[in-house]
Amino acid sequence: MELELRTKLAIYEHFAAAGRRPSVADVAARVGAAVPPVREIFGRLREQRVLVLEEDGESIRMAPPFSGIPTQHRVTTASASYYANCAWDALGIPAALHQPATVHSRCEQTLEPLELPVSDRGPETSDWLFHCVVPAARWWDDIVFT
Amino acid sequence: MLFFRSEERVREWCTANGYPRRPLVRMDQLWELAREWYSTRLQPDSRRPAPPEMRRIFARIGLAGDFWDPQSDTFGRPPRT
Repeated sequence: MELELRTKLAIYEHFAAAGRRPSVADVAARVGAAVPPVREIFGRLREQRVLVLEEDGESIRMAPPFSGIPTQHRVTTASASYYANCAWDALGIPAALHQPATVHSRCEQTLEPLELPVSDRGPETSDWLFHCVVPAARWWDDIVFT
Repeated sequence: MLFFRSEERVREWCTANGYPRRPLVRMDQLWELAREWYSTRLQPDSRRPAPPEMRRIFARIGLAGDFWDPQSDTFGRPPRT
């Protein structure tokens, strides 16, 4: 398997297991490679829109659906806790993990808490809504705002 | 991409913040989007849907119109002059 693919999988496996972002050194150790080529791959994965990196060019801000930093969208499973980048990604985490989970978020207008259990068949019946200001063609113009 | 308790709360938030009100998505529709985008994300063959595939996914779950078109000239880019 190519180093780039092993790097991508190692990043996601780290998020899934630990609930937090790996460093370049964490990933390099996991794939058995030196840090510089893995750092270079982080940059390529950013160009492919697989990752969003911080200004330092190597700290992972987003590996969708996982967030590398705390957000208002938290997802808990029986064994771990995660942050999602947005409402869509909050449901994306149980979809990616194929595990039951609970989404903890809020109504953006009133700050009323949302606690939404999600099974492998999807979320419990809920009349909450999802709203996105940015049209699909512009999502990646500023993915952090989106 | 945010959660809201109701359509009224969306309207209030858009007015208060000066944003246009966009199409609303139900939780069952959002789950379909989440599955389509992320159910293979931890697997070696994972990839994001390409624009034509995105259009088909959005149409299948009832999200229609230029807002959901990943290559829309109307919503996605400045109007041609």
